Amino acid sequence: MTRPDLDGTDLRAILDAALSTGGQFSELYVEHRRSRSVAVDDGRVEDLITGLDRGGGVRVVSDGRTAYAFTNLLTRDALLEAARIAAAGVHGTATGGVADLRTVQPPHTHPVAREPSDIDGPGMAEIVTRIDEAARAVDGSVRQVGASYSDTTQEVFLVNSEGHRHEERRVRTRLAARVVAARDDIVQTGLEAPGAAAGLELLERHPPEDVGRRAAERAVLMLDSRPAPAGDMTVVLAPGSGGVLFHEACGHGMEADIVAKGASVYQGRRGDKIGSDLISGVDDATVTNAWGSFGFDDEGTPAQRTVLFERGVCTDYLTDRLRADELGLARSGNARRQSYAHLPIPRMTNTYILPGDDDPDEILRSVQRGLWCEQLGGGQVDPASGDFVFGVAVGWLIEDGQRTHPVRGANLVGDGPAILARVEAVGTDFDVREGICGKDGQGVPAGLGNPTVRIGRITVGGTGE
Amino acid sequence: MSDELLGLLDRVVGQAKAGEGIEAYGLDETETTVKAHDGDVESLSSARRRGIGVRVVRDQRVGYCFTVDLSEEALDAALAEARANATVGSPDPGNVLAEPRRVAELDGPLYDPAVEEVAPQDKVDTAIALDRATRGGGPDITGTDAARYGDSVRTAAICSSTGVRASYRRSDAYLLVEALAGRNGSTTSAYGLSLGRSLAELDIDAAAAEAVERATRLLGGRTPSSARVPIVFDPFVTASVLGIVAGGLTAEAVQRGRSLFAGKVGEQLAPAFVRLIDDGRLTGGPAAAPWDGEGTPTQRTVLLDYGVLQGYLHHVASAARDDAVSTGNASRGSYATPPGLSPTNFYVEPGDTPPADLIAGVDTGFYCQQVMGLHSGANPISGDFSVGAAGVMIRDGEFAEAVREATIAGSIPQMLAGIAVVGSDLRFLPSGGAMGGTTLLVDGMTLAGGAPQEDTA
Repeated sequence: MTRPDLDGTDLRAILDAALSTGGQFSELYVEHRRSRSVAVDDGRVEDLITGLDRGGGVRVVSDGRTAYAFTNLLTRDALLEAARIAAAGVHGTATGGVADLRTVQPPHTHPVAREPSDIDGPGMAEIVTRIDEAARAVDGSVRQVGASYSDTTQEVFLVNSEGHRHEERRVRTRLAARVVAARDDIVQTGLEAPGAAAGLELLERHPPEDVGRRAAERAVLMLDSRPAPAGDMTVVLAPGSGGVLFHEACGHGMEADIVAKGASVYQGRRGDKIGSDLISGVDDATVTNAWGSFGFDDEGTPAQRTVLFERGVCTDYLTDRLRADELGLARSGNARRQSYAHLPIPRMTNTYILPGDDDPDEILRSVQRGLWCEQLGGGQVDPASGDFVFGVAVGWLIEDGQRTHPVRGANLVGDGPAILARVEAVGTDFDVREGICGKDGQGVPAGLGNPTVRIGRITVGGTGE
Repeated sequence: MSDELLGLLDRVVGQAKAGEGIEAYGLDETETTVKAHDGDVESLSSARRRGIGVRVVRDQRVGYCFTVDLSEEALDAALAEARANATVGSPDPGNVLAEPRRVAELDGPLYDPAVEEVAPQDKVDTAIALDRATRGGGPDITGTDAARYGDSVRTAAICSSTGVRASYRRSDAYLLVEALAGRNGSTTSAYGLSLGRSLAELDIDAAAAEAVERATRLLGGRTPSSARVPIVFDPFVTASVLGIVAGGLTAEAVQRGRSLFAGKVGEQLAPAFVRLIDDGRLTGGPAAAPWDGEGTPTQRTVLLDYGVLQGYLHHVASAARDDAVSTGNASRGSYATPPGLSPTNFYVEPGDTPPADLIAGVDTGFYCQQVMGLHSGANPISGDFSVGAAGVMIRDGEFAEAVREATIAGSIPQMLAGIAVVGSDLRFLPSGGAMGGTTLLVDGMTLAGGAPQEDTA
């Protein structure tokens, strides 16, 4: 188990040493992570990589300042040394000391039906081979297939000076396929990468064959695409495809560290009507087995569901302990870290636009001319202005309420608040995607989800006429 | 430290059996980062991490296992696991370990012992001074998004059953600050950067002034009307674009049909005054090292000479498939990953024109200071891209109105061919290998904008 070989006295000594320079709060976070991955590329099974990473970090907080020191030696002496280094980073006057440690159970669990360890190296290789073969079978134009299987089993142990103590085991598995199809001079790529905070049961919901086929079908479809038109137009986001837009253009600006720095376009807007009546969105770490879910966040706050926008009104920010205290807000359970080597910062978990009342088919039929976004590529946002840009990996032109032909090279350019304001219809359907969100050099699993959404107008950058 | 690490690696490699190759790579790093905000330290973090990755090759199959537990039992277990993993993969002639080659001394030091003598308080004071200098940089500056000081010392070592045995130590220090600016409801941000081997080499005022100038310049930006105009890339934007170019110049990308440069060796891709270089031995570059992630000596490789493509970047596996020689471009993200293939210090050779003269020579153009979505917006295979951009219009050789929510569309081949002037100002970005760019004037790309912005505030 994760718990370092330390008794209650040792743990108190570490937390005490961290407070020795007058800090208000100290914490020891210990992580033990086993990871495995295998990939197939060009029909060859590549390196099977397995490994153990582990380490412990001591954090001290004093008047909004944070000091952190970590080591991957988990002995009492090494952790005490880390505590002393961290303590040297603050100069406080607190004299509170360390409360009695009590173990807390998580309010939400994400049970694993089938442990990843049920399959061995050859079994993992078989999974990626199945993805590869299914992708190649789709069409003769498929040129390359890259596929991977990965799993991590992360065990977290946390104690803090308020007496909180918990242990949590988080299992995540993921499949990914990247397919390149080519015809004449046109080369297109299709992606599919489902994951879950679960074990091998992921393979039942997303059989490897389906993953390979879906990625290949996207690549092959896009071979028939035309260059996307440029200009302002109505955009319809397909279920699952628009979650990343909401995540980037709205979610990041709701993260309390960005708000506290005055770098968010949503700063000071709580209670303001920003979006259309139709738009409601949440961040929800309690969704059972969802990719971004957990029991406790990475500083011991229980997982929660936080409403970001309620019928267009800007509602609650995503906080960690530090920013909640600074802004006088509740802790929302959004403190996350990539590993023991990182400080917790406010992050999204599973960020969803909630389904509405409109018939998805009717949404499509209602558009005279526009862009249907089946899959968005990566995107980027400047939280200070809300400006964003997104590649449309798989898109269709909509003409007279029909998807007429696929288009490539489209980019969505705009800003978050304007997009929220221009939501004109929200479907009753819903689907999710899984990604890795990067911020401040830390990558964490992030779930994305949305129903069919019609946005009145977005600037589309394209290369066609 | 390096002797201790080498000793552990020797013990692993010494267990190689007949017909088996073993390589052990060890990393021991310490690192400090201080962030300041609003005139005070926001956070300090300090790290010590070390770990070993073991690669086993047998019958042209490879397996990898890493561990941070450096006890003898744990290392033996990692070796056993790497051996088991080596039975799973497909055989490939590229799965071979590097042969030892003589590693020549670098021109200058990678390690400055001064970095380890800086007191924590001085690091804190430096970050605070950077925050202060940036916030005081002008009337439009509304704050900073964390001013950072960071330093690190890394010891890397490698041993293999083929006879590779080497270690090196490198120190790095940096300042990074993002200035936030605001005027009449327009908000912008931009960063400033200073890199060195230790604190003494860093320039607080220059990093602050750079962030302030770049953020202020973008204020009041409006969506431009579409036009085909010369585009001037800021050095950091050039560096980002070169990241896409460099990705296509790795032999692996070519071998896997993922490069727009496949089959183009010997072709004129850019004007004759353009030279693109990858130089792992450039001690002034952030990615400098005497040897690469497989123990092959690093080198200076000219990819584009007089505008003509000369070849590709190799590690041992890609070279084995092409009957070529490794150019010392095996990369290791950490002990947790087997060698990959990446550029080192990859840059455009600076020209003679100072950036101010370059801009003064442009009648009407767009100075592109930020690109958004380059990674998603650029197709690495076709080279087509359409990316979001922000910057300033150039009119009569001077900066005029600011521009936001613009799109630049074109392709990598078109951009390389369209290079008109290479500036004299080389700057490196410290991530993704280390891309170095200059101010760059490029003809023939399209600047597009949407309809005039409505006021959404």
